[in-house]
Amino acid sequence: MATITLEGVSKAFKGKPAVDGVDLSIDDGQFLIIVGPSGCGKTTTLRMLAGFERPTSGVVRIGGRVMNDVPPKDRDLAMVFQNYALFPHMTVAKNLAFGMRVRRVDRKVIDREVASIASMLGIEALLGRKPAELSGGERQRVALGRALLRKPKAFLLDEPLSNLDAALRAQMRFELKRIHAQFPVTTVYVTHDQVEAMTMADRIALMEGGRLQQVAAPEVLYSEPANTFVAGFVGSPKINLIPGQVVRDARRPTIRSMSCDIPVDGTAGAVLASLPHDNVVIGLRPEELRPRRPATGGLPAVRGVIELIEPLGSETHVALRVGGHVLTCKCPPRAGLEVGSEISVEFDPEHMKVFDGDTGMRLG
Amino acid sequence: MTVAPHRDEPPGEAAARPGAGGGAAPRGTAFPAAARRLRTKVLPAIIGNLAMTIIGVIFLLPLAWLILAAFNPHASPGVVTPRFSLANFTQALQSGASGAIMNSLYLAGVSTVIATVVSTLAGYVLSRHYVPLKGAALVVIIFLTGLPVTLLLIPIYQIFVSIGWLDSPFYTSLVLAATSVPFAIWLLKNFIDQVPREFEEAAAIEGSGQFRVLLTVVVPLIMPGVLVSAILTFINSWGAFLIPLVLDANPSDTPGAVGIYQFMSANGQVQFGPLAAYGILFSLPVIILYLISSRWLSGGFSFAGGIKG
Repeated sequence: MATITLEGVSKAFKGKPAVDGVDLSIDDGQFLIIVGPSGCGKTTTLRMLAGFERPTSGVVRIGGRVMNDVPPKDRDLAMVFQNYALFPHMTVAKNLAFGMRVRRVDRKVIDREVASIASMLGIEALLGRKPAELSGGERQRVALGRALLRKPKAFLLDEPLSNLDAALRAQMRFELKRIHAQFPVTTVYVTHDQVEAMTMADRIALMEGGRLQQVAAPEVLYSEPANTFVAGFVGSPKINLIPGQVVRDARRPTIRSMSCDIPVDGTAGAVLASLPHDNVVIGLRPEELRPRRPATGGLPAVRGVIELIEPLGSETHVALRVGGHVLTCKCPPRAGLEVGSEISVEFDPEHMKVFDGDTGMRLG
Repeated sequence: MTVAPHRDEPPGEAAARPGAGGGAAPRGTAFPAAARRLRTKVLPAIIGNLAMTIIGVIFLLPLAWLILAAFNPHASPGVVTPRFSLANFTQALQSGASGAIMNSLYLAGVSTVIATVVSTLAGYVLSRHYVPLKGAALVVIIFLTGLPVTLLLIPIYQIFVSIGWLDSPFYTSLVLAATSVPFAIWLLKNFIDQVPREFEEAAAIEGSGQFRVLLTVVVPLIMPGVLVSAILTFINSWGAFLIPLVLDANPSDTPGAVGIYQFMSANGQVQFGPLAAYGILFSLPVIILYLISSRWLSGGFSFAGGIKG
């Protein structure tokens, strides 16, 4: 059990920065997920924690100890690899026991521990088999078991669910969460899947272009994105990001977007007045756009033509063309909508996110 | 099977029945399908098999001679059916064949162990680690695989004279190992290149040091390659003639390939029977080696299940 800190950690491959000045601290027992698109540096960050890559600059600490020059074998970590990396020439039991045999644990203890972890993961029947004879989900469990038996200071998981089918992935998400509750060891989990990040993490570190964009709890990341990238990455269907202009001569802070004047209250409104330029981007989550029933008072609304309807059963996603923009709205099922028809959607400006149009940073 | 329709059947009826025979052949052309089959399938097969038989006989004749002569107490260069006798084997063994084979086993065994260990370590480093001028080193290694031993023998002899290593089976096997190492390094490096690094990383994070990773993960995964390299080294050393002849003049150290010359005397007299028997005895260990290792080799080279794909 240990805290992990990264202080200004950078890594460049042949002069090209892959990770750029990452500062991150992970509390003891926390489940942190590093998420981001392909090539954002998340796996490189994890590999620096594991010791497979040496940071070009910055300091990696695990349990307070500087780890930059400590080889992987002495870091006391366990890792689950994207492709499992089970030793193909060993049986499941030997794979599970590998770390303990390296540490010269007594054979009886090994047998007992292997049996107990196998029963916890439901793989007792597989102990005598080789990895080639296992299904993807079974291999995943064995890889997890091998990591658990290590009893490490921290777990590192590199996209562990990406090779599983959707149903199995949902089940393993649940199980990983349960295992973490049972063994609250510091965990760093890398994924490109925002659903995994949102459902499993205590905290999410969102990366893009080698830099940390925001580190926050899942709900905070969703409701208070630091910039347009974070807002666009988190949430499905994606947030609607529409450019707008600050209206300078209005009585209260106002943004004009999609030919609609939107009043902005609160801190965002206060910041608007001091913005040196007029370019802003407004962010509207699809669930915050509601088809307007006749005469709902007061809220701003826009009119558009329905381009596409995606019925999902529990809800319906509607693509609405408003001027030059397409808005995605989450509507109730069987709303009686038709492609080509014109509807109005309204939204509460209080839930609207306002971003600086030049820097992409959130205002307020 | 394509069969022409029956002659006594009206042509219209045969044509109306789909799939009956090899299409509606017009009346008058006798078995055109059979003729085509003869031309395109049967004839080439006959010619091909005939050619292979001739080539096979050419290859088998010396082998047949070897076996027949070995059991013929009056063996000559001709291939004749003998009156079965083991006299040649007795004579071959009495004239030191067993000792020479033991010497060969020692030379080949020691050089195989040394060459395989050295090449595995070198191949691993060349595959996995940063080595300055690695590309150049690999080119030099390839170049060395083609270098004739004869060229090096005189300098090696002089070195052996100056450091007093002559007439020692062990130092002789060191030279034999050295002649096999370049190719073995090249072979094993390519095998190790195929092993996904994730396995080694997984072992490292479980607490294994470099040597343990190599021994418990990499070597088992490239076992077929290690065996191929070991067999090639063994055969190379087993048949070595010039190196042991020059570097070890001690008569009691004579290996099989050198010892066989005792049946060819200087004045052109050849004792064909004992020579053939000796040849068979000398081939046996290599054949046994092949038989044992083929079980491992056919197991193939696979990482199935270890990682996805």
